[in-house]
Amino acid sequence: CKSKFEKLKASNDNARKYKEAIRYYNKKDYGKALELFEILVPRYRGQEQAEDLYYYYAYTNYKMRDYTSARYHFKTFADTYPSSTRSEECRFMAAYCYYLDSPIFSLDQENTSKAIEALQLFINLYPKSDRVAEASKLIQNLRDKLEDKSYANSKLYLTIGDYQAAVISFNNTLRDYPDTKYAEEIEYLIVKAQYLFANNSYETKQEERYTSAIEFADEFIEKFAQSKYIKTVQDYKKDSEAGIVHAKNWMTQATLNMKAAKKAAEKDSVNSQSTPPSVKDKNPELVN
Amino acid sequence: KSLSPDSLSYLNPKDYIIGGITVSGTKALDKDVLIQISKLNKGDRINLPGEANARVIKSMYEQGLFDDVQLNITSINMDTIYLEIVVDERPRLSRLHITGIRKGEIEDVQKKLNDKTGKIVNQNLLNTTSGIIKRHFNEKGYLNTTVDMKPKPDPADSNNVILDVIVDKKTKIKINSITFEGNEAFSQKKLKGFLKNTRTKKFYNIFGSKKFKQDKYDEDKQTLVEKMQAEGYRDAQLVSDTVSKHDEKTVDVKMKVFEGHKYYFGNITWSGNAKYSTADLVKILRISKGDVFSEEELGKRLSGPTPSNDDVSSLYLNNGYLTYNADPVQTRIYNDTVDLDIRITEGPLYTISKVIVKGNDVTNDKVVYREIRTKPGQPFNKELLIRSTRELSQLGSFDEQKTEPRPTNINPSEGTVDIVYNVVEKPSDQIELSGGFGGGQLVGTLGLTFNNFSLRNIFNLKAYRPLPKGDGQKLSIRGQSSGRTYQNFSFTFSEPWLGGKKPIFFSLSAYTQGSSTGQYFAKTDRRYNNLRINGIGVTLGKRLNWPDNYFQLNYSLNFDHYNLDNYGSAYLFSTGTSYNIKLTQELSRNSIDAPIYPTTGSNIKFTIQATPPYSLFNNTNYRIATPEERYKFVEYHKWKFDAQWFQTLTGKLVLMSQVRFGFLGYYNSKVGQSPFERFKLGGDGMQSYQFLQGSEIIGLRGYQNFSVVPVGSGYNASNNPGSVVFNKYTLELRHPVIASQSATIFLLAFAEGGNTWNNFGEYNPFNVRRSVGVGARIFLPIFGLLGLDYGYGFDRIPGASDAGKGQFHFSISQSLNGGFN
Repeated sequence: CKSKFEKLKASNDNARKYKEAIRYYNKKDYGKALELFEILVPRYRGQEQAEDLYYYYAYTNYKMRDYTSARYHFKTFADTYPSSTRSEECRFMAAYCYYLDSPIFSLDQENTSKAIEALQLFINLYPKSDRVAEASKLIQNLRDKLEDKSYANSKLYLTIGDYQAAVISFNNTLRDYPDTKYAEEIEYLIVKAQYLFANNSYETKQEERYTSAIEFADEFIEKFAQSKYIKTVQDYKKDSEAGIVHAKNWMTQATLNMKAAKKAAEKDSVNSQSTPPSVKDKNPELVN
Repeated sequence: KSLSPDSLSYLNPKDYIIGGITVSGTKALDKDVLIQISKLNKGDRINLPGEANARVIKSMYEQGLFDDVQLNITSINMDTIYLEIVVDERPRLSRLHITGIRKGEIEDVQKKLNDKTGKIVNQNLLNTTSGIIKRHFNEKGYLNTTVDMKPKPDPADSNNVILDVIVDKKTKIKINSITFEGNEAFSQKKLKGFLKNTRTKKFYNIFGSKKFKQDKYDEDKQTLVEKMQAEGYRDAQLVSDTVSKHDEKTVDVKMKVFEGHKYYFGNITWSGNAKYSTADLVKILRISKGDVFSEEELGKRLSGPTPSNDDVSSLYLNNGYLTYNADPVQTRIYNDTVDLDIRITEGPLYTISKVIVKGNDVTNDKVVYREIRTKPGQPFNKELLIRSTRELSQLGSFDEQKTEPRPTNINPSEGTVDIVYNVVEKPSDQIELSGGFGGGQLVGTLGLTFNNFSLRNIFNLKAYRPLPKGDGQKLSIRGQSSGRTYQNFSFTFSEPWLGGKKPIFFSLSAYTQGSSTGQYFAKTDRRYNNLRINGIGVTLGKRLNWPDNYFQLNYSLNFDHYNLDNYGSAYLFSTGTSYNIKLTQELSRNSIDAPIYPTTGSNIKFTIQATPPYSLFNNTNYRIATPEERYKFVEYHKWKFDAQWFQTLTGKLVLMSQVRFGFLGYYNSKVGQSPFERFKLGGDGMQSYQFLQGSEIIGLRGYQNFSVVPVGSGYNASNNPGSVVFNKYTLELRHPVIASQSATIFLLAFAEGGNTWNNFGEYNPFNVRRSVGVGARIFLPIFGLLGLDYGYGFDRIPGASDAGKGQFHFSISQSLNGGFN
């Protein structure tokens, strides 16, 4: 024996189904409402009630927390009925569903980028809407998330001791997010990473790399004179200068001792052919 | 009276005000709704002719309701225009009713047809439907399939139709004969061999299909010519080919080929190379003047891929020259000789700027990034890209086939490139639920393994999906019980990057096991008995960069505690306590390419395990000590060597060769050989619970479990106390049946030999008990690896009645993650 709902589903009485679907929706029984809407949407296509029906259908998906379906249906609604009074709302909801589908920053951020795009499109289409302020706030949240991700992944290279990768990655973060809230910290970490990179390199490469660390340090001191890191950065600079002196001494020694020089050159060529960067496997903890 | 907007001059588009819109040609649809869909509003301005009319037609078509849409002008009055939308409304498809083929075939066809319900039924729909069905069966060798279609109105809905599709696939067409014309240098047989998927119906063609499949045939025609050219016949052509009906079920294939004559390489010159000298490149090209001309070989040597990656492109691509390109230009062709000038475009040296991971919907960035070997700041390197991909797949969280690294954002002016790793998550958790006989009773097992666990989120309710995931940690919990007489619970947690700074592997495991046949009697009753074993272990491991970066060094500290109360004769004494405290060092090198079905690489492990030498300082007089005193603190040292090699022989056939050796020694002759940690050889190699002294169980197929006892000893499978020396060799041929994300199945044939000895003095590596056999392994992501083998042992073992007979062996979860059995 079929339940009342099953009978209704099997019947051909579209008008009754429509009425019942709305009733289920209002009763918050979204599961049943969705089943009926799914049957009705293709049947009513091109007819007068289609607009209302589709609006409910999109919201039912939203209430069921199926944001992937919901955003598609909200967008379809807005595309199909651009002159409807609800199209602004649906355009916003489509973007908002992407927003809800955006995961924590340490996972893939495809939905975050799409949410930003969709919210931006909303602002462009309805610049005078009441929802613009909220949309802008959401965009800011999403951008912060991307910024956090870029910062955290750059910092990971520093943590696992890939100093050259850390320097490049931090610089990329600064370039991609010029107004980042981490600016001071990133620039400090660049100095630190570049210093550690130089310190863990072969003597033949050290002068160039220490010089670069000094440049980064000077830049930091100029930009962030009041920083809490200023003392540490000055220490890195001093140590780098000492490091250059040491490297130069070593090089002079090496030139005097032809055998050592030859060995160093060999080491270096081996290094540039195999896996760069030419970083010695020194213990980084010692220099911290 | 109405005119098309095209009749207005495109030279002079004008703005009009819409005075009114009418709709004609509708059947069931509402006209007002259609006007709304058209996005035309009365009173709006419209620029005609222009984009506006195209837009109207497009948005009407998007509804999928009409076969034809037109926008016409009914009249123009000054700047007011009256428009008419003319539609050709068609009934819609409510369902396809396919007949004439089996249910399974209908499902296959439905899948290919996608869902066409709701679409309008017009000639186009009929044509595509029939085309898809015909193509589906043509591919399977049914060349004469007919499809007949009859639309009929849907009784449930007036504007819908049901499409009756009657399929008659007729008989399958096979190939009777293939004949070639115009061939002199190539024999008929050789040319036939070039056609991989087009084969005649002959008894010797056991493998491959004999059906005639048009698409395979077209591919084969292409490869035929390529293969002829690869043997130096650079002018080879397929002149014509005919497929004619032989009888109702077979066709004859005739092919006319032009061979031309055989060519050889002449002088090869190089230009455009600056980074590498011509002399170096000549060495790597490995083609010299006088070799048979083959464009295929030349292409491989210049642009790859070659199996050992020793081609010219690898040289450039592994050293940063990402946009390397080689263009071999045939500068002169005289008689049978082709002179070449290889023009190389090196491009700039590319350095990696960003490394981006996409598709990690579960696994956190750091887990993926820390495994990737291409780092910002390094020159581009194809080999490291491939190695990173392989190592990502070894994390076990991603689909191996779908992990795809791609250089993007190639910036030649700055010499930078970004690398995007596209990964696809796959389910990695495993459930083990089994029931089986062990020690004469039914034992049930429930095990859960989470391979991508996140411990730090254990109190974060938001992270439960359904468990906290994404940090690459492993948690497994396992319980085994046969009711009141035996219970075993174990727990393991491991973290591959302890502290997050360096790849230091950490694992913590603990277990407790209870066994009793009389625990329900009072403690004072003589029938009461009980055994409890508790253990805890910690492992720390480090990847080494020397001698190469496939090495790993592990240390473990394990503590086992045995507590017996009137437990009978199964153990060394019946009431008392024993401690087994051991430190293990394991040096291993693992370069296998895949955990489940390795095709290349090796896995070598050297282990030393030792307990403290208690007898040096505990003042026990071992000459007169009781077993309780003697085994309170167990002492021994143990040495093991295991090695496994994988080689691809041909195609997908893989040879696994393996050597294993183990030795257990003592510190003090007064204490003697330890009864703990001995080796038991024979059978399926499954760990079994009833052995108390931590025996190591080594499989040897073709013999009963634990039945391979030292030559001359009086032991048998049931009272085997284990031996102190063992040695085992295996050769195994493997071939995959299914290798997909959802299941891996492979068949194997093996020959193995092994033996045990009572002391090192008797050890003879050439005196082994031998066996051969066949088997299969099935890997299902949630169940792990299941295996079934049939082995035949050649050598008689005194006391074992069924040695020298065939044996079946069933195994679970072996040879995974560095297992050696």
